[in-house]
Amino acid sequence: MKPGKRLILFFLPGTVLYLALFVYPTLTGLYYSITDWDGLSPSYRYVGADNYARLAEDIVFRKSFANNLKFMLAVVLVQTAVSLALALQLTKKNKRTVALRALFFVPTVLSSVSVGFIWTFIYDPSLGALNGLLEKLGLGALTQNWLGDMNLAIFSVAAVQAWAHIGQMIVLYVAGLQAIPPELLEAARLDGGTRGQVFRKVTWPLLAPAAAIVVSYTTIQSFKAFDLVFTMTGGGPAYSTEILSTFIYGAAFTNGTFGFASAASVVFLALISLITYLQFRLLRADRVSY
Amino acid sequence: MRYKRKLVNLLVAATALTAALSACGSTSGNGNSANGGAPNDASPSVSAGSSSEAPSSSAPSGEKATISFIHWRGEDAKAFDAIIGKFERENPNITVETQVFPSDQYQSTAQAKLADGSVGDVFASFPGAQFASIAKAGLYADLSGAAFLSNFLPSLIEAGQQDGKQLAVPYQLVYNIPIYNADIFAKYGLEPPKDWDGFLAAAEKLKSEGLVPIAFPGADIGPGQFMNPMVMNNAPDPDIFAKLEAGETKLTDEWWVKTLSQFKELSDKGYFQKDALGTKDQGAGALFAQGKAAILATGSYQLAQNKKNNPELNQKLLAPITVSEDQAVYEGIHTTTFMLGVNAKSKHPEEAKKFIEFLSRKDIAGEYANATGQNVTVKDVEYTSDELKTVAEWTDKKTRFQPRFTITNAEIQKAVTSSIQAVLGGKSPEQAAREAQAIVDQQIGK
Repeated sequence: MKPGKRLILFFLPGTVLYLALFVYPTLTGLYYSITDWDGLSPSYRYVGADNYARLAEDIVFRKSFANNLKFMLAVVLVQTAVSLALALQLTKKNKRTVALRALFFVPTVLSSVSVGFIWTFIYDPSLGALNGLLEKLGLGALTQNWLGDMNLAIFSVAAVQAWAHIGQMIVLYVAGLQAIPPELLEAARLDGGTRGQVFRKVTWPLLAPAAAIVVSYTTIQSFKAFDLVFTMTGGGPAYSTEILSTFIYGAAFTNGTFGFASAASVVFLALISLITYLQFRLLRADRVSY
Repeated sequence: MRYKRKLVNLLVAATALTAALSACGSTSGNGNSANGGAPNDASPSVSAGSSSEAPSSSAPSGEKATISFIHWRGEDAKAFDAIIGKFERENPNITVETQVFPSDQYQSTAQAKLADGSVGDVFASFPGAQFASIAKAGLYADLSGAAFLSNFLPSLIEAGQQDGKQLAVPYQLVYNIPIYNADIFAKYGLEPPKDWDGFLAAAEKLKSEGLVPIAFPGADIGPGQFMNPMVMNNAPDPDIFAKLEAGETKLTDEWWVKTLSQFKELSDKGYFQKDALGTKDQGAGALFAQGKAAILATGSYQLAQNKKNNPELNQKLLAPITVSEDQAVYEGIHTTTFMLGVNAKSKHPEEAKKFIEFLSRKDIAGEYANATGQNVTVKDVEYTSDELKTVAEWTDKKTRFQPRFTITNAEIQKAVTSSIQAVLGGKSPEQAAREAQAIVDQQIGK
């Protein structure tokens, strides 16, 4: 066998796993989306596009989508901006920055269910640490019903999502920042560029590939943020934190409408695809090479 | 180079996106394999549980059989271990393997596993929506005519019946009505109120004494629990929610708008703790156990936990009567749950029935009840703790099966409980009822 052909064998295990664990279930999901299978019965009927038509009119699906957009915007903005700001301070290689990077990374290694439970206790309006701390600092006016206020709950969960993943994004940004040739930055400074100008004209354009990954990864992550919402609010109060993934779970496992849930998953995929594509387009516009 | 980069970008995006979708697809896949590939058969649905569908290949006498028992009550594991030990000594040819799934995963994981009969020869299920979906899937073996059914109080096993068949036997008896601190009530000269004005007056007195009148876990179980006694006399028709699902009544009708208005009244007058919508079960339970709240709006299943948290507590049950005394039809709410069924696909149906028969003996049921602090549906059981005796007193009162569990569509159930949260979150009862009814209409195809 030629060495080139032998190399193809290296792709085989990964490809098989990918096909078996991702592609096949995805296609199965597509298939079930045109049935009325309840997830338990041995039989079902084909319903064509009925599930999709129902979805278009479903009040809770629309609410979930709107909540998901709010959640995504909050997480993407906070996570991208805060992790970039921190990464800019943590690019240098010394003991302090390495220790801080590790510290920021700790929440990422915690299970999201544990994070959800921990923050539920922190957010508890009467016994929780957050309101307690605000009271002790004399900021009692800022205490909130973090997960019980229907206008605030989705943002409270979004804050936890950002907290849990900022460390991961710092790593991506730091890698991107460290890949920027220092001579480019130095040349820009020698040309009289201010810190802001150097960042805007040199650092940011060269960081665009890393930013694109951070933004698209964060977007997908925020659409898939099932565990946190499920453990912290269960989608409540009154659907105010219901997002697409919890909607799909409820439709499949609580209400026993698996076919309908599969149709929602397909629409979910299409929405993430569209948003990710638009983000790539947007961020590619900023990309330069020197 | 540019095209290569484009290709890489595309592949990265495709991988990530496929991962996003496959979460649901893989579960579908599980369902598929769980059904042994049966979903490829797009034939009409089979009928609900029938013993004729169960394989009759029970282990011949003398042959060893292992049966699987699945349920969600991890807190009962120790009690069940002891009982199973006794069962196995009495039936040396039968081994019982128990698997416990947390209740929030029970809907997804355990239910799917039942479908191929590999686990859950004996399984527990919730009444209402879960019972309906398992029955629809034909996974309950018919227990009608089994001799052990006479060990149960007949009225308490009705929740496991469908179309004249006994598909499951509820084992636990719960009263979904608030718990009150009897010492606090006695201290302020209060008696369990007999009408709505009396309930408000008692709450006002408790508030004026610096107590939280009602600890309400509005973030999780509260709405689903407290709605039951709140609606029981506003809509005394036991079929009210069946009628809602049939489109014969609406949430915008007087009975539900009145119920929501009464929730709002309790909230507006400050009878719930502050920020009740952000309070979970444990938080509300802590307020009650610490003596800061006089009433806990959950149910009798919480009595044992409260006692554990504060052994000095003197607890009793009361239900808010939302009408005048002469109009009150019901005194409280009961639920028969932890419904034991035999999997229609079990390879050992006789052994599985033998296990349920064993659990239904009054001494064994008593052992279970006293070890777990849960009342049971079995006749003539002797309870030892004050809490269990308190609950047992309620069997003589006129109670009604939990209305929430008569809603078989889980989305409608959620719309109903969410309307309570919406009212506590500031919406008017009329608006909350309208929004919930819109979801109901959609679910029932109106």
